[in-house]
Amino acid sequence: MGYGTYIGFRLVNFAVILVIITLTTCAIFDTAMTRILKAQIAEQVQQDVMNWVKYQQQHGRMPTQEEINAYREDRLKIYYRRYGLDKPAWMRVFYRTWDVLRFKFGKSVSGLITYRGSRDVATIIFGYLPNTIILFTTGAIITMVIGIFLGLQMAKRAGGKLDRAITTFAMVSYSLPMWWTGMLFIFAFSFGLKVFPAGGMHTLPPPEDPILYWLDFLWHLALPLITLVFVSFGGWAYTTRSLVLGTLQQDFVMAARAKGMPERKVLYGHVLRAVSPSLATMCILSVVNSMWGAMISEAVFNWPGMGRLYWIAIEANDLAIVIGLTYVSTFIWLMALIIIDLIYGLLDPRIRVGIKVTR
Amino acid sequence: MGMGKASEWLQGLKEFWGEYRRYKSGIMGLVLLILLAGMALGAPLIAPKETYENWYNPAYWTDYPQEVPPVWVSYLSGVKKAPHVVMEKGPGDATVLPSAGNTTYVVEFTYSFRYDEPPNDILLRVMGRASEEEKAYVSIKVRRPDGQEIVLLPGYETAFPEIYKGMSSKHFKVGKRSDIGTRIVKWAEKFDTPENVVTASIRPPLGGWVIRILFSKAEEGILVGDAELLKGDYVFTITVVVPKGGELWGTMMIFYGTAYGLLGTDSYGRDLLAGIVWGARLALLIGIMTSLISTIVGVLYGVVSAYLGGLVDEGMMRIYEIVSSIPLLPVLLILSWQFGVTIWNLAFIMALFWWTGPVRTVRSMALQIKEETYVEAARAIGVGTRRMIMKYIANQILPYAFAIMALGVPGAILTEAGVSFLLGGRGVREPTWGKILHDAHKAAATMKGLWWWVLAPGLMICITGLTFVLIGNALDRILNPMLRR
Repeated sequence: MGYGTYIGFRLVNFAVILVIITLTTCAIFDTAMTRILKAQIAEQVQQDVMNWVKYQQQHGRMPTQEEINAYREDRLKIYYRRYGLDKPAWMRVFYRTWDVLRFKFGKSVSGLITYRGSRDVATIIFGYLPNTIILFTTGAIITMVIGIFLGLQMAKRAGGKLDRAITTFAMVSYSLPMWWTGMLFIFAFSFGLKVFPAGGMHTLPPPEDPILYWLDFLWHLALPLITLVFVSFGGWAYTTRSLVLGTLQQDFVMAARAKGMPERKVLYGHVLRAVSPSLATMCILSVVNSMWGAMISEAVFNWPGMGRLYWIAIEANDLAIVIGLTYVSTFIWLMALIIIDLIYGLLDPRIRVGIKVTR
Repeated sequence: MGMGKASEWLQGLKEFWGEYRRYKSGIMGLVLLILLAGMALGAPLIAPKETYENWYNPAYWTDYPQEVPPVWVSYLSGVKKAPHVVMEKGPGDATVLPSAGNTTYVVEFTYSFRYDEPPNDILLRVMGRASEEEKAYVSIKVRRPDGQEIVLLPGYETAFPEIYKGMSSKHFKVGKRSDIGTRIVKWAEKFDTPENVVTASIRPPLGGWVIRILFSKAEEGILVGDAELLKGDYVFTITVVVPKGGELWGTMMIFYGTAYGLLGTDSYGRDLLAGIVWGARLALLIGIMTSLISTIVGVLYGVVSAYLGGLVDEGMMRIYEIVSSIPLLPVLLILSWQFGVTIWNLAFIMALFWWTGPVRTVRSMALQIKEETYVEAARAIGVGTRRMIMKYIANQILPYAFAIMALGVPGAILTEAGVSFLLGGRGVREPTWGKILHDAHKAAATMKGLWWWVLAPGLMICITGLTFVLIGNALDRILNPMLRR
């Protein structure tokens, strides 16, 4: 299986899962979504009728009650046809699935709007999405750097004090809910030591000076970021350590050492290069897994990302947003898995030249 | 033959234990597991079952103080907090005064106040039945240690119109009744300066500051909380006048503590200790159930896929890949949102996606075992496929499955907690630790500094997870054939 076929397989996989999940979600929520849609259409038709009557009056005609009713029926029929409500349930589900797949989630059910006043669910979600990405990618990069560095140090002196301490810490952090840690950190750093704000992304009102604005942003970013890194770096370090320890016993390392290569070069040049494919998959997978924890933590920190939106939508009973969020987060998750595969393929020459390997 | 097999099995167990006890962390995990199991099984002894059943019934928790820390906080801070005191008296404890037609009961409650904080509130409950024609009346007065007497309720308040635990009753909360508050403030005015009287007259006579006046020395500053607390015995005299044909069943006074129990209470007055111990049951149940089902399915799947090989293997691995890349959290959110699951449902749904965990490892193990000579020999003598898979291959992997199972538990508990935290009332029906944390976050516990509400449930999630990580790691080292040297 060559690199191209390999990626092709993954892409097909991606599409299949996306369709399955969307289809299932739409089927589960068909009744509820239809009810919501009908309510929204009724609202829209009321608006249309009022506009039409006003238009007629401006042109000197006064429509009778029958005419108004006929117009209302007409509009209802048009909207029902447009949203597929006149079709049987299974077709409706397919229509909706097709809409969701193209990021058309409809309007929010609760009064939730963007600051420009839009009720479009996709617009709302894409307003929150960048904040999740900022928090999450920054956290992942910092975790990666700290984790790999510590892991190498641990492997160098396996069984030493640092090794034992971090191994224990990794075990504890494996069962540490990130969002709960966030709550504790708010107690400690926001209320106890008063060094970081308890939540949000900006002071209200935000400072006008652009430099101060960014500093204010970083100050708000700090605590969620510290939480994310604190909970994940132990696992990274431990994984790196195990992989490096396994490689250190291999012949090519012995050979490199035997020819008098400096230890630093052996470690960073040879060992790290050799373990990089497995390291990339194992660690990135763990980071992608921690995406869910990070999203729940946003609710704790009032960080206006997708997790916070989940919380708001659930509290406001807004089904349209929940479905949209499910789709977008699934999409991102699958994208991340694809990216892992790409990186893995690039790092592992065996895949590029087409030797079958199992991940 | 049965005997021989049993003793062989026992021998194996003994050997295993001999190895297991060498792992200090494994022993620690085992100790923690025993403690947790004790907590889960002993939950009804620590907190009655009705606390668990009434977790979402606010009426049940009215007799508990709200948002107060655990009692042991007193020892840390040196401030003696008022404990929660409940006093009950039956009609036999009352003095009956003779009067024309009616019966007058006089009940005395003595509250010895020796703390650094006044109680949060005072509640009086009278239970009984008035006659059909006439009402019953209740009056309350208190005599303080300094001999001062304050009438809290003069005698024209009717008793018993409502139902409490199946009886007719009525309760009065001193801090919630502005008329009682006004009487206390009026009484205190004669001890304080005119400025303080004005200050106090602006405040609504409700809540803690009124209670504080009741328990302060009659001196300057009593109205603004500057007076010292007056320690000693406070005697509350309750007089209930019951008409002919009516009955008095009992009276009850509650002095709401400023601390409660081992773990404090939340903003509904719920005893967090009850939530924690009953939550241990739920957490263990969901963790072990999910992990057990998914390990069995996963191991069998891996073995079957490896043994059958060829196209079947290829197909099974494709299905495995699809299921393993389904994101669990959003799917769980959607499903429990729509169907309002119990933890049993949730465990089952999680297992539906979780079985993929051990498949790869198990498959590669099974591939190795498949090449062993004894498998070849078994095949040569015509052992059937099912028997081959169950007896010859899966059996070999079984010990290692225990390690996989233990290591799968924390993830299940963490996921349940995360889903419950986000969904709250829309998630699982039972009060799990995740749901307690949801309530805490919703009530802004972090902003209010109610640390006891947040600390205990999260710590329990963490400890439960750690327990299984410790056990799982030890099992993995002993039983994983790949780690064996």
